Amino acid sequence: MNSVPAVEVDGVSKNYGSVSALKPTSFAVPEGRYFVLLGPSGGGKTTTLRMIAGLIRPTTGRVRIGGRDVTDQPANRRDTAMVFQGFALFPHMTVEQNVAYGLELRRLPKDELRDRTAAMLRLVGLTGFEARRPSALSGGQQQRVQLARALVLQTSIVLLDEPLAALDATLRKDMCFELKHIQESVGTTFIHVTHNQEEAMTVADEIALIAAGTLVESGSPREVYETPRCRFTAEFIGENAVFSGPIVEGALRIGGAAPFVRDAEPPLAISVAAENIDLHLQQPDLEQTLPGTVVDVFYLGFSALLHVEVDGGPVVPVRLLSKELDAGIKSGGRVWLSWDPDHARMHTA
Amino acid sequence: MFRSFNAGGTAPARRSLWQVIVDDHGPGRIVLWIPLVFMVAFFLIPLALTLVWSVFERTMFWMEPGFTLAAYQDFFGSGRVDSFLNSVKSAAVTVAVAFILGFPIAVFVRRSVPAHAQHQAVLLFILPFMISEVIRLFALRPVLGRNGIVNDLLMSIGLVDEPISALLFTPTSVVIGEVLSFLPFMVFCGFLAMEAVPDYVFELCDDIGSGLVVTLRRVIIPLAAPGIFAAAIFIFVNSLGLFLVPDLLGGPGAANAGTLVVNAIAALDFPLAMAIAAIMVTMMVALLLIGHWLFDLTKLLEPFR
Amino acid sequence: MSHDYESRWVYRAKWTYLLSVVGVLMLPVLYTLWISFNANGFGAAEYDFTVFWYVELFKNAEIRTSLAWTVLIAAIVVAITVPMGVMAAKFYQRTRFKVPFVFLMLSPLFVPADVTAAALLVYFKNLNRLVEGLIGVELFDLSLWTAVAGQITWCLPYAFVVILVTMGRFRPEQTEAARTCGADAWQAFWQVEFPQIRPGVFSAGAFVTILSFNEYVRTNFLKGGFDTFPTYLVSYMLNTGMTPEVYAMAGLVSLVSMAAIGLVLVVALRRRIG
Repeated sequence: MNSVPAVEVDGVSKNYGSVSALKPTSFAVPEGRYFVLLGPSGGGKTTTLRMIAGLIRPTTGRVRIGGRDVTDQPANRRDTAMVFQGFALFPHMTVEQNVAYGLELRRLPKDELRDRTAAMLRLVGLTGFEARRPSALSGGQQQRVQLARALVLQTSIVLLDEPLAALDATLRKDMCFELKHIQESVGTTFIHVTHNQEEAMTVADEIALIAAGTLVESGSPREVYETPRCRFTAEFIGENAVFSGPIVEGALRIGGAAPFVRDAEPPLAISVAAENIDLHLQQPDLEQTLPGTVVDVFYLGFSALLHVEVDGGPVVPVRLLSKELDAGIKSGGRVWLSWDPDHARMHTA
Repeated sequence: MFRSFNAGGTAPARRSLWQVIVDDHGPGRIVLWIPLVFMVAFFLIPLALTLVWSVFERTMFWMEPGFTLAAYQDFFGSGRVDSFLNSVKSAAVTVAVAFILGFPIAVFVRRSVPAHAQHQAVLLFILPFMISEVIRLFALRPVLGRNGIVNDLLMSIGLVDEPISALLFTPTSVVIGEVLSFLPFMVFCGFLAMEAVPDYVFELCDDIGSGLVVTLRRVIIPLAAPGIFAAAIFIFVNSLGLFLVPDLLGGPGAANAGTLVVNAIAALDFPLAMAIAAIMVTMMVALLLIGHWLFDLTKLLEPFR
Repeated sequence: MSHDYESRWVYRAKWTYLLSVVGVLMLPVLYTLWISFNANGFGAAEYDFTVFWYVELFKNAEIRTSLAWTVLIAAIVVAITVPMGVMAAKFYQRTRFKVPFVFLMLSPLFVPADVTAAALLVYFKNLNRLVEGLIGVELFDLSLWTAVAGQITWCLPYAFVVILVTMGRFRPEQTEAARTCGADAWQAFWQVEFPQIRPGVFSAGAFVTILSFNEYVRTNFLKGGFDTFPTYLVSYMLNTGMTPEVYAMAGLVSLVSMAAIGLVLVVALRRRIG
């Protein structure tokens, strides 16, 4: 395994005048990884990606690719290729010319150029579309051409900026699987920006959550979903009941109820995944329960989602199997919430 | 297999002179400053300097640095100021006529012409602009003259018994010439201002059933105000300044501010010419500032953002 | 649109008004054009079609020379103004001071020609004295180049606007895509952006040609000891009055403009069909 990370972002920040788009941020992406930058719009993830690509210059910090400092190099002199959200195909060129454009700039011999273009179109499933213009392609096909155009350059990094955002939901799902397969087969490092958590979970080996211009936390999809460190992560990824409250005798108090955590270290907030909350129609014989009122009931097929207003506390999501609704759960009903203390995650930030 | 080819990122940097020039941080990016520098050097500075030159001392064939208000005294203390004020009056009339004739066209195009044809409809008014100003004005002579086409027409339908001679070489013909020269600007600017107004505003007016007059007074004119004002300034200043119109269409002695400038230069009285030019430039800047303060003329630039 | 419920006749009346205004604006030009082909000249009772007056024009050596000057100036002005229009539009897209820049670029449209021309004339005379005093060369003596500079201040705003509007339809993502494909700034512009803004650049070129060809006031102030076609025409007209030759000269100018517009329209239509 190569110990030099494929991409190293070192204290990089970006200011526009007095507005800060990204505060100083550092992370490293190991080679061959599918790395996802996830976060709400305007949070700074696209800015980060564009600084890796060399399309914008960082205000501070360095960007290293394969160990080499490329901060002062423009996009065309970096070992990266990029897929954009849309409108990025050259409308005056055919599909084949689009894919071959980067190879032509590199003055490849004609036959090698044609072979590699054809191979790449085969990989993305667009053989037979060579002579079409981008305007004659569907949105999904256009994104495949973009992917082929990026992959054909055989750069060590491929950057994807919301590549699926313009597609409709079903197509997006299929393209997610396909992106993952392609990345696995070519083995190139992918850095993918998205605001869609399902997309991120599907493709990522590693997710970095970026919001309000800072890197909140990073980890494997499973880590950020099951054991988020930060409160923001719990609020953004998955469906979590997040509680914060006054700290009494070294523990968190929710509403008027008893503290739910045993830790001596007082956390700022705790969160519990919506599917890990137990719902009781009568007050259970437990040390720690939270009384509340059902506000909404959403039937979603296999599962159902409830919104429960905790007495003196927030409205929290609770997930049940749909058949559990038959027990008499309805909007306006009194319920009691509890959970296994091991499922409660403490957030100090 | 995918590591066989390198993007060239790590290749040793042997770059040609051309590549260095067009590099993002190379000298090539300075090229984009050329238009700005040109306009500052050959437009902004000369016009600003008219103020300086207007107070220079007049010499026999030229002028020399100094400070004197002689040129202004000459201007305000002679019949020139009367010609100037007369041309202000006729320019104001021109603006009013152009508004009455041209603005309804802008409204019509924006509100009733299908969206895809609106630009083409407005572009029709570019056609006359593409014909030389000189030719268009000169062409009015045979049209407005005693045995011109207008008089022929009026006599043949029996509206008048003998040709109207007031149509050419009079103040009227100057106004006609100015209106015909500058009318398209009222259409362009009015349309430009209203183009920034989304369709639903007009649909809403239809929906709540406000009448034509109310819609015009409360919705259309306020929304189009920046355009109307910009067009008004343009037409006013150009009517005042273009010496060609009174020169070709006015009677003997017809003059506007432009004529005064041209005559002063012909008489080698450069400070006087510069003083009148400075007055016009100051007037235009003042009008633009007032318009900007009242209506925010940057709204007109919306399409260019 | 809102005309769906409008009375057909009102709608037609509005169109009639619009077209008749365009007609009135064009009428004098067409009328003089018509006269210029009459063997008997203006006001004659009979109309005999002829190109005699046009042939006469080209026999006149002074007119041929003035035409040559006009074409030369137009060629130089187009060659300089169109690239400058592209640069200005690019500059506009990058600068943070968009509003002041646009005001500066468009302000020549708002200043009467004779005021600009007079100010430039005095400016060049001063510059000439200054430069001659410094290096002994009359660099800014009135000449072809001063006339060209004057015309560019007039043509650049049009070229700028036409190119800027076309450039506005270009998606900047494509430049970025080209850069990430390995193109340098120039290649990204020349191979990706330029092919897409070419129609705008072409129209700008046609506009500037017409504007330059028709320009009178600035050229008349700033030219050296030669005549362009418009300056020759005006002085000829003021000297001899409305002779058939004057009509033919005016007709020639109109025909050149119309041909240029026609060319633009044909190219635009062919692009739409093709």
